[in-house]
Amino acid sequence: MKANTGKIIDVDLSAGTVKVEQLPEEYYTKYIGGSGLAAKLFWERGNFDADALSPEAMLLFMNGPFAGLKLSGASRHSTAGRSPLTGGWGDSSCGGFLAPELRYAGYDGFILTGKAAQPSLLLIEDDKIEILDASEYWGQGATQVTESLKKRFGKAYRTLVIGPAGENLVRYSIILNEGHHATGRAGFGAVMGSKNLKAIVVKASKKKMELVDPERFEELRKELNPKIREALASDVLHENGTAANLIGGMYAGDVPIRNWTSNFWEEAADALTGSTLTETYLTKRGACAYCNIACKRIVEVKEGPWAIPEGPGPEYETIVSFGTLIGSIDLAATCKAGRLCNDLGIDTISTGGTIAWAMEAFEKGDLTKDDTDGVELNWGDLETVIDVILPKIAAREGKLGELLANGSVAASKKIGKGADYTVHAKGLEAPMHDPRGGGHGMALTYAVEARGACHVADPMLFAEMGARYYPEIGFEYELEPRTDENKAEAAVDMVAFGAIENSACFCQFADAEVTIPEWVELFNIVPGYEWDAEEMMRAGRRVFYLKRMINYRFGRTADDDKLTKRMLEPATDGEPEGVEINFEGMKQRFYELMKIDPEKAIPVKEVLVEYDMADEAGAVW
Amino acid sequence: MEYWKDENEPIKMFVKLFEEGFKDADLSGGLKKVNQLIWFDYTQDGPNCSFWVDCRGGDLKTGPGKPADAPDLTMSLSADDAHRSWSNKLNPVMAITRKKIRVKGSATGLLKLAPKLKKVAELYVKVLKDEGKEGIILK
Repeated sequence: MKANTGKIIDVDLSAGTVKVEQLPEEYYTKYIGGSGLAAKLFWERGNFDADALSPEAMLLFMNGPFAGLKLSGASRHSTAGRSPLTGGWGDSSCGGFLAPELRYAGYDGFILTGKAAQPSLLLIEDDKIEILDASEYWGQGATQVTESLKKRFGKAYRTLVIGPAGENLVRYSIILNEGHHATGRAGFGAVMGSKNLKAIVVKASKKKMELVDPERFEELRKELNPKIREALASDVLHENGTAANLIGGMYAGDVPIRNWTSNFWEEAADALTGSTLTETYLTKRGACAYCNIACKRIVEVKEGPWAIPEGPGPEYETIVSFGTLIGSIDLAATCKAGRLCNDLGIDTISTGGTIAWAMEAFEKGDLTKDDTDGVELNWGDLETVIDVILPKIAAREGKLGELLANGSVAASKKIGKGADYTVHAKGLEAPMHDPRGGGHGMALTYAVEARGACHVADPMLFAEMGARYYPEIGFEYELEPRTDENKAEAAVDMVAFGAIENSACFCQFADAEVTIPEWVELFNIVPGYEWDAEEMMRAGRRVFYLKRMINYRFGRTADDDKLTKRMLEPATDGEPEGVEINFEGMKQRFYELMKIDPEKAIPVKEVLVEYDMADEAGAVW
Repeated sequence: MEYWKDENEPIKMFVKLFEEGFKDADLSGGLKKVNQLIWFDYTQDGPNCSFWVDCRGGDLKTGPGKPADAPDLTMSLSADDAHRSWSNKLNPVMAITRKKIRVKGSATGLLKLAPKLKKVAELYVKVLKDEGKEGIILK
């Protein structure tokens, strides 16, 4: 085996034991790596009856085959398991610096089960793997703990840290790499917290990895890196970050406003867009390991109520979730809110989504001051959000903190009101792209992706923009965002491609420039999968299918492949005003094309056999 | 070329389009924000088939040919695709992805123009009518 080491670490935190094991090569050639490999391992070993926050729950951290390559976009890893937020399958991709270090240390990933007797950290240094006491860090913010770990072990040691929210089992807690890069979605910070694991620290003594054809890879790398960096999208991302096209998004109706009640706010476009951030608070640009796009923002707010020292700045998702989504156009406040969410260890998407839901509930009278410890929840009141609501959520403090710490779906159930204006799929609060404006195909993929509403589970958003074109696999659709035409057909390829991206752990921004022949060649000259384009797409589809089968074993059916009432109501303003989404039509067509059973929502048995999944089929048919 | 009889005709229309656009407060405001010298290069359809728009320093200018200064941004495409583009019938992202439009330089300023494309298209229809080119207006 090349590139992949075939080795994973199995950590039982209850027993305090660590075991290194070798995986069969077939796991990789069938499930690629990253979230696909995690799904396969969960399928084989996961406890499907265990609550996500119980000691029996399994949490997996997996690299893709490209981790460690000096290639833009290849330095991501995937964290996966049962989501404490949704109760179903969850996986979350994280950039930064962990993936290469773990690969150099000799591992493709690690699996955590059990619960440590006291607050602990996991230290991985080549062959030395230890569970150490971390009581001194418990209760501290993620930023402070990251700094302390760097001081204690050394700057080159790569860190994964949870904040107080994870310790308090807030169901949308994050895991933070290097104090900046988040495993944001699905609440895996709470799973770490439930296991009494505050941090993971990784260091390799050498930066080496073996490839099938290192000479050819070096040639290809020298072609790909400049091509990726010189692309128009990369230039825009480098210059103005992930919020670079917020203006375009606003005019398309893609940017959600006040809990998805509006699709247009002209003033917000200029106020929050990436170039405004560049002109006002940007001090430096940051990057994940070996990436020369450098889309990350380093910001400083020098004065005013939201003053923050130089440090990680907000992504598009944070700018919108703490901006228009909750009725604000104060860019400095989004910087502060994002920084605070990192430190407390909560996902800005689910946090913003949950607060937006609560603000609407308060406006409607479905939530009153009796429910909120006397706190008023008013649109655009960032002072209350930052000073009161976020700390309460992270600490589960009072009625309000306890209500919101489980997410918008659980909160609406608890008060028995407000389900109609929750915005989620499968319990995962939707990201800051409204399919009514951004593209109807995204409505379909939000619903059918295993983890729930996610814009990076697949590249449908980019496909509907016109930024995906793969003639080698027949993906030549000229998609009009605000129609259902060819959307199910496009989704068939995009969900497979998304599975490839998230299993190879390749960044969607960088890989946009990689052609199908180049993808295939990378798989063949790096880990040596010996694929052609068809086999690569089959692997992606296989991963997609397997995650759906995991969800089925969690009790999910076709009824869970849906969006909420609010998400499917025709927009009342902006570009998509009055346009209806033919959601059921797209879903039915997608099921037909993918040969998915209309009740069980898993592939029919014949398809599973065709995809070399006969063994897996036995568990569900 | 599908829409034009010679290489000079599209340039005449496009320069006129921008001259009219400069008179519109909304469009000129948007163009000033771009703050770049842009060369629209259609020379694949003839050596003189290009024009420039200078949005630098709050002073808007346009003219045929290649600009005297080095452009901040060059957009290379066919004159026919330019016609579709100004008519708002060509998705620019799709065109770039499929290599129908080649971009050189920083396009960050252009993103600020995205909201104005509909208005540009309306103005373009008016220009085509004024110049007796109703026959090529795209529905």
